[in-house]
Amino acid sequence: MKVEIPEELQEILEEFLVEAEEILENLDQDLVDLESNPEDKELLNKIFRGMHTLKGGAGFLNLTPVVEIAHRIEDIFNKLRNDELKLTPEIMDVILEGIDKLKEALQMLKESQELPDMEEIEGLLSQLDAVLKGESPVSSESSTESSSSHSPEVQKEEELEFVEGISDKLKELIKQFPDKDLAGILEEIILMPPDKRPMDVIPEIEKLIEEGKDVKDLIKKKEPSGGEEKKQPPPQRSETPPAATSETARTPAEKTPASKQKTSKKQEKKSSETIRVDVERVENLMNLVGEIVLDRNRILRVTQDVEKECRGEAVEKLVEAVTSLDRTVSDLQVAVMKLRMQPIKKIFSKFPRLVRDLARKLNKKVQLIIEGEDTELDRSILDKLEDPLIHLVRNALDHGIEPPEERIAKGKPEVGTIRLFAYHEGDHIVVGIQDDGRGIDPEKVKKKALEKGLITPEQAAQMSDKEAYELIFLPGFSTADKVSDVSGRGVGMDVVASTIHSLRGSIEIDSEPGKGTTILLKLPLTVAIIRTLMLGCNGQVYAVPLHSVVEIVRYQEEQVKEVGSFRSFMLRDEVLPLFSLNELLEVPDNNQKAFVVIVKVGEKLIAVSIEKLFGEEEIVIKSLGELLSDIPGIAGATIAGDGRVVLILDLNSLLADYKTKLIGVKR
Amino acid sequence: MSEAKGKEKELSVLGVEELIGEVHEKEVQVIAFKLNDELVGVPIEQIIEITNNRDLTPVPKAPSFVIGVMNLRGKIVPVINLKEHLRIPYEIPEDIYQKNKIVILETPKGEVGVIVDEIVGSVKFPESDVLPEPIGTIGIDVKFISGVVQLDGDLLILLNVESIFNQEE
Repeated sequence: MKVEIPEELQEILEEFLVEAEEILENLDQDLVDLESNPEDKELLNKIFRGMHTLKGGAGFLNLTPVVEIAHRIEDIFNKLRNDELKLTPEIMDVILEGIDKLKEALQMLKESQELPDMEEIEGLLSQLDAVLKGESPVSSESSTESSSSHSPEVQKEEELEFVEGISDKLKELIKQFPDKDLAGILEEIILMPPDKRPMDVIPEIEKLIEEGKDVKDLIKKKEPSGGEEKKQPPPQRSETPPAATSETARTPAEKTPASKQKTSKKQEKKSSETIRVDVERVENLMNLVGEIVLDRNRILRVTQDVEKECRGEAVEKLVEAVTSLDRTVSDLQVAVMKLRMQPIKKIFSKFPRLVRDLARKLNKKVQLIIEGEDTELDRSILDKLEDPLIHLVRNALDHGIEPPEERIAKGKPEVGTIRLFAYHEGDHIVVGIQDDGRGIDPEKVKKKALEKGLITPEQAAQMSDKEAYELIFLPGFSTADKVSDVSGRGVGMDVVASTIHSLRGSIEIDSEPGKGTTILLKLPLTVAIIRTLMLGCNGQVYAVPLHSVVEIVRYQEEQVKEVGSFRSFMLRDEVLPLFSLNELLEVPDNNQKAFVVIVKVGEKLIAVSIEKLFGEEEIVIKSLGELLSDIPGIAGATIAGDGRVVLILDLNSLLADYKTKLIGVKR
Repeated sequence: MSEAKGKEKELSVLGVEELIGEVHEKEVQVIAFKLNDELVGVPIEQIIEITNNRDLTPVPKAPSFVIGVMNLRGKIVPVINLKEHLRIPYEIPEDIYQKNKIVILETPKGEVGVIVDEIVGSVKFPESDVLPEPIGTIGIDVKFISGVVQLDGDLLILLNVESIFNQEE
């Protein structure tokens, strides 16, 4: 169904979409909270208000399918908060389905200005209606426009007596909406489809409001359904009334609830003042800062040279100015970096719902504990982190947590626990998933790897437990057949590992059979600027991200041992596999090694010999462009102080071919 | 148009003379350069810059036709051996990483620099002068060519930048 939004309403539509998205995003968390705490009145009210606002906005824009769904959900919550309905998991399922449909509809609206057809949502609507009817004793009102929370009798009572001078139409409306004040009735009119809107009543109501009158002043008989006590925040902001009611915006009756709504909104947002900025602008700013950082590095080097070559007052002043510039640029860099940081809450908030749905599907009992959701991460990392995290949490639920009977038999609490957490550690962020399930049995993993022909029996025998856990990240290990119905997307653990590595992060698994598994993802704070080690090989300069470098030692011939076709390097009492950077890069080798860089690849330390070492430098990563986008081992490039391009090496993928041999994969 | 003028200016800075062909109705302007003995041209709209003696950084493990990458005003641009890409005979001189003539093209794969032997200059001719597929033998595969133009004695081969850079390796 195509939606036609007139030009003049476009802005309102956009505002509505942003607001609706916010409401729905908060809702997921609220609903899951609600399930564990179904009596929480405050929560029920909050959800009700959210739905009401959503319905209002959608009604104004004539988005019928959205209104129909939101309206029913709102009614359900109205019943819930008035204790007319009890929340059961079945009801929750229907509500969640409704919320999902709303999300889907809004997404469609945003992307293609379309909405699902009414036929499409009919099933859902009747389900929602069933919840409304089935569980509530008397309420037989089928009218879709009534959200009567107050006994249905009020509606049936024909003996409402009105004061004189009121049109029949208005009387009808007051009867139809017994718990609304005049402003509320006005809103309901606005929500009606345009062809059913009783336009002629609007001026009458406005006049009455202006006179300071309300429904209770119009009714002779005292009814408990006076406007005051039932006042709800109006669904609309004052800037949205159509032409006919634009004046109401200025009437006091409308103003009061509107300001009320504002204050409650502010509380929700914890009074943090924010502006929305296009991501592109921030990216652009980031790039510019990157350029300044490079220039600063250049200036620093030149200044050092100048200082060495000549002395004098001017030079001293230059050094002073440059030092200050250095500091400011560093601060600027951090400040801009922070602009791109977003709390990990953005993705963590999706998990309560995910865990709940999955647990129900798998008939497991699980509680999810989220910690450190305010930890901030670079936006681009955050975006890429979602799928791996979903996969890991699914794995924990599917393979880790046992069914309740099994847990009881093992003497564990019936309800399993999954802990999702994030914290800072030095210049890294650690994101972890911990479960108290059955854990990973290293022997089982080895057995499976053997069956799949990924390792040889000898390798299996020599493998430590940690190395065995690493096997699950190998392509071809994931049990796609078993996982598929739950993990859906077919993302294997190997994809999780490669995503994390592409973000220059690392994964650690720790597990104890019977007790549970902890998976830690260590991620850099930012992706745009990294600290690197500049090294030389075959006359070229290369940059290696410092995070993968463990240590640098001088190359000494006597520490090198030939073992079969491999060479190894003796570091203190350890024997490490040794490669020359030249052979990894497939460039000519003149065997003039000066240093050995020890890098960590997975759980293994590997020695890489190099010809020259230039020291540490902070660089801005640039892409090599589409033509060279997938060259193995090259993570990108940067522009050095002298204007030349320096390639950034990804040792992890450079060593990938060798790594498989080292941890024992048969090719 | 002003951009094209800028380009011509740059050409004269590089010591290149402008060759003017016949001027008629709808004109095509190309930058002509030499690849071995062939005179080839690329429409001026697809040319970003002409530059020489750039420092190139070799890229290990890249496809063999990639000579290296260069810094173009803070952007990293790959430079390729056009002759190899067009499958015509080539030799790469030792000092290619310092001494070179590069034409930077706007391609479907982004900005790409191509190494040429000699930059001849800018040529204008009416669109109707462009002849379709050349008959006879020139060294370049016809799928990389959008047409040929006869210019007093010389045959100018017009390259089809899209098809050159859209081919899958």
